[in-house]
Amino acid sequence: MPLENTVPASGSLSDDARSLPSGSLSEDERSETETKRGPLAGGRDGTSHPRLAPAAPGLAQRPHGELEGLDRLQTVEIGSASRTRERLRAVLPPVGLLVLLLAAWQLYIVIAQPRPDKAPSPAQVLGALGDAWQSGRLQESVLTSLERGGIGFVVAIAVGTPLGLLLAEWKLLRRAAGPLISGLQVLPSVAWVPAAIIWFGLSDATAYFVILMGAIPSIVNGLLAGIDQVPPQLRRVGTVLGAGRLQAATAIVLPAALPGYLAGLKQGWAFSWRSLMAAEIITTGGSIGFGLGTMLDQSRELADLPGVLATIILILAIGILIELALFAPIERAVLRRRGLLLGGA
Amino acid sequence: MTAPLAPSFDGVTPVLPAPDPVDPAVRLAHVTKRYGSGPVVLDDVSLDIAPGEFVCLLGASGCGKSTLLNLIAGLEPVSAGTLTAPPEGAAVMFQDAALMPWLSARRNVELALRLRGVPRAERRAEALRLLGIVNLADAADKRPHELSGGMRQRVALARALAQDRPVLLMDEPFAALDAITRDLLHEVLENVWRETGRTIVFVTHNVREAARLGERVVLLGSRPGRISREWRVARTRGRRIESPEVSALAAEITVELRKEIRRNAS
Repeated sequence: MPLENTVPASGSLSDDARSLPSGSLSEDERSETETKRGPLAGGRDGTSHPRLAPAAPGLAQRPHGELEGLDRLQTVEIGSASRTRERLRAVLPPVGLLVLLLAAWQLYIVIAQPRPDKAPSPAQVLGALGDAWQSGRLQESVLTSLERGGIGFVVAIAVGTPLGLLLAEWKLLRRAAGPLISGLQVLPSVAWVPAAIIWFGLSDATAYFVILMGAIPSIVNGLLAGIDQVPPQLRRVGTVLGAGRLQAATAIVLPAALPGYLAGLKQGWAFSWRSLMAAEIITTGGSIGFGLGTMLDQSRELADLPGVLATIILILAIGILIELALFAPIERAVLRRRGLLLGGA
Repeated sequence: MTAPLAPSFDGVTPVLPAPDPVDPAVRLAHVTKRYGSGPVVLDDVSLDIAPGEFVCLLGASGCGKSTLLNLIAGLEPVSAGTLTAPPEGAAVMFQDAALMPWLSARRNVELALRLRGVPRAERRAEALRLLGIVNLADAADKRPHELSGGMRQRVALARALAQDRPVLLMDEPFAALDAITRDLLHEVLENVWRETGRTIVFVTHNVREAARLGERVVLLGSRPGRISREWRVARTRGRRIESPEVSALAAEITVELRKEIRRNAS
């Protein structure tokens, strides 16, 4: 059988191959003629590039049926439970707990009847939120804080990512600066606020500086941890496949480090948001805008506990929302792609 | 041939004449390997592997057979002696499939094609063709975690074929698979060998596997690793793991392997 008589790509059996009794020696004798294979024969005579010859139909036909059966037996089809059911299962428990907490709070107010200025009821807090919305302070503060947090976070990514790559590649720098970066991660970034006020005054620069000091070490450390945890076997595969340094970095190391990097980003965001709130509470006045922290501090000065609690809840809610709407889906998608998520169904 | 040839195990087939006219695909001449100032791992190993030959390197754990493979792959330098391997390098398959977990089976094969410099437009079809060779065309879009161990190894085989190197080095590629899967993969591998004419160096500690697959079985002694004996198989077609000639050869090799292990005890 000449080599031209081959089926491309799909590897399906040609008709004449199918008609042969599978597993009989006759196949082997038949293929004897098509590939000359003495034990020490040169192996590649005939076509100039036999290794690129398409898969001959005779190929792998013997184990074909058995292989298929085994493949079917050994792979588990992941049943796709309905999306809405999945959503409900994720959403119901936290919502239930929230309702329970609110009920307990309300119950405490009804039973113990504490002083309203020390322990406002849920309705009062909700009222404070409504007031802030009516006066426009709520929208302004949320927008200001989110804008700052967002811009600061993006800058932190832009600075932290190359820095992390540099540290991962340059071992001496890593040894020198590694402890410092880890230390910076432990240092509460609020500690930078006094220094930042002296350097930058009561301006937005102070807020941004504090955000960067909070987020960059987390991002760097996350990226480093991700790169450190790349299985050495994958790097070896890169070498074997002939990847250069840059190719190995972009095609293998970085994608493999993605889960760690994402974890770093997530932590970086949490640190940015916290640092920003702290900075806004401490630095009021000057050219610094009206953020959530500012609103919190103002409510405190007015001894307006419902307002304070309302702002705290708002800050918390925004944090949760960003986690749920931004990071959780990305993280789930990445982990699911790699089969690292348990209970994919 | 530097190592003296043992008579073929069946005692009937004459030993093949020296394959001098063909340049070997891989030639090791008095190769010695030690790590730093540690003990000698491989001692004066000389081995010629002809193009298109299927050689099984067999030995007890720790005899340096994987090291030998790494030397041929160019992953480690030799300490002494000379090693001649194809200039374009060799494709390597490991015990662990080591697929990129974020890429589908097809994309894993495409990665090898990309790193080989195959133009983007041709990669997809070529990857599907290679997956077809290992009977995985239907699973092309599955990710490694959705595949069984045997399927993953077949993707790794397709990826190794995608490298399009004349020499394929395999480091116990089927050691972690169950017996039935391994049997079937032996057949897949044998077909690939016959169809592609590749030179295969297959490292294993499984005597039967070596007897089933090898055209030539090279037994490595331990500490330091050196070639202690080798067998040639004249009739390689139609062998199965349960074939009597495979069992006979395996029994003969096992005797030698045990001798070799006992020698280490004394």
